[in-house]
Amino acid sequence: MTPTKRMLHLAFALGKERLFSTRMLIMLPILLLFIPGMAWGFADPNIQLPANQIPENATETMFLASIGIVFAGTMAAVLIAHDGISRDRTNGVLEVRLSQPMPRWRQGVVMIIGHWTSIAFPVTFLLFISMLLVGYRSDMWIPLGDAIIYVVAAMLVLLWYTVFALLASSIAREQGSAIAFSIGLWFLFTLLWVLFTTLLAALNGVAVGDTQDQGYLIFEGRLDLLSPNGVYHHLLETRLDGVERGVSALGAYIAAFVWTIVPLYLFQRRLNRLVP
Amino acid sequence: MGGDIAMQFSAIGFRHSIPKPTWYNPLKKGKGAGITHVDLAITKGEIIGLVGTNGAGKTTLLRMISGILPLEEGNVSQAGMELDVRTLRSMVGFMPEQVRWSSQQTIRQTMTEFAYLRGCSVQSALDVLSLVGLRNRIDASLDSLSQGMRQRLSLAVALLGTPEILVLDEPFNGMDPVATDAFKRLLRSLADKGISIIISSHHLIELDLLADTIALLHRGQLLAHGTTESLQSSLGFQQMTELVLDKMIPESLAKTLNILDYVDAANEHRYVIESGRHDLLETLIEKKFQISTWRVVPPTLIELLCAATGLDRETIGMDVEQSSMIPLRTIGGEEE
Repeated sequence: MTPTKRMLHLAFALGKERLFSTRMLIMLPILLLFIPGMAWGFADPNIQLPANQIPENATETMFLASIGIVFAGTMAAVLIAHDGISRDRTNGVLEVRLSQPMPRWRQGVVMIIGHWTSIAFPVTFLLFISMLLVGYRSDMWIPLGDAIIYVVAAMLVLLWYTVFALLASSIAREQGSAIAFSIGLWFLFTLLWVLFTTLLAALNGVAVGDTQDQGYLIFEGRLDLLSPNGVYHHLLETRLDGVERGVSALGAYIAAFVWTIVPLYLFQRRLNRLVP
Repeated sequence: MGGDIAMQFSAIGFRHSIPKPTWYNPLKKGKGAGITHVDLAITKGEIIGLVGTNGAGKTTLLRMISGILPLEEGNVSQAGMELDVRTLRSMVGFMPEQVRWSSQQTIRQTMTEFAYLRGCSVQSALDVLSLVGLRNRIDASLDSLSQGMRQRLSLAVALLGTPEILVLDEPFNGMDPVATDAFKRLLRSLADKGISIIISSHHLIELDLLADTIALLHRGQLLAHGTTESLQSSLGFQQMTELVLDKMIPESLAKTLNILDYVDAANEHRYVIESGRHDLLETLIEKKFQISTWRVVPPTLIELLCAATGLDRETIGMDVEQSSMIPLRTIGGEEE
């Protein structure tokens, strides 16, 4: 068996274990509520949204429903992967793993793929359900190209959070720190980022709070490149008409590439230096 | 030992990174305790007992030998060829001090996973379970295993892929006496097949009986390595003989002996004397002594460690704090 096949076998086994874990069972109702639940809600023809926003097509509805991915999907990724390394470190299994001849970078890829697929699989399934729900309820069907971008962007943001959580797990020496680190990071990008953006905008003399102010939108759009959730939304916005937030489609793709490569590199670097 | 060298570690060293916060850099790290300049030749089929106090560096050394910790200094070679870390890991099977295997996974799934990590066949991995007596528990979940069984599973994982060297850190912990005995016999049979074994244990009596050679480690340095006899002579250790007699040795004869210990029991007199008086046995028989015991008393591993370090038993037992502070070069009064 080739090393790559062995790697894939291990990743599959890990993904399966995590997919059918108790943790996933607990998160499944939350994912159900946030992903298809939000899509169902935003697809309501009589929906009343702030600033009189009315979704005009299925892509816009799915864009609004993407908040379910930002809140529940990324949280689930963090909860699945936060003890990916720290648990093994605590119970001594990490030492046995690190003494095996399979190179550490391959072991790292196994961890990433295993954890990522375990959350990516149910989320992808729920996304398809969401698209069907939107089509059924609003009679507007999402074009295939938009659907692909929508799913790929969701998979990417889940990958980023999985890698962050694993990176945090490799740094933490016990479970408490691992979860605090991971949830802290999720909290920063998901909730505190708005505060951070507003604060920086105010310091730069931009009209804070006016969501129609082009200066603020551009400032926020550019700052969002520093946040995984922001890049995720930029990727989705490449399929929306009339959105001008100062970042081109190419810029969003480059940012997504950087957000993929840098954490992966940092994680692999960390794994190579890992001491049990 | 004089056999074929399985692996040679030359001047290897590693220092742990420890927090050394300063007011301007609270995350600053510095070099702490570790292993310095250890030379260790491992012979094929040899069982090496690694002896040292808590914090002497045993686990660090074993992790270095297993390829878990990098060799910051020195190198490892086989037949004159320097080995890289990946080759080293493929040649060494490692059993850590205590692995708390716990999950819903079964033993079969765990062995399959490690077979992939090791690069050996799944069937051979499952076959190893027979060797450690876990075959009949193959579908038991890890959560249901006792500590002794977990130790056996750790050994099974260490034996995957037929390693040339087996590194065992405190393997007897949590094992009942019967399992310990079976474990020792298994290790001996593995050694007879040519597998070299390095074993660290605080069960010194077990270790003494099992090991072919002893390596004495103290404050991150390998003080001595050899058979008990060679260590005894190289450390200038005196040979001792224990004899139990029915009556006291007369004073005239006692003056000519170096009596190290004497116990006056109910009907017998126990002496420990310095060996070397070849005429003593003959003299005692002539004087109509009844000799119920006559045996050479080997020094214990603790005595050897004391002799090697120059510390007494009490000091060496309480030397934990200092033992984690290996001699370091200093710059301006601060550790380098």
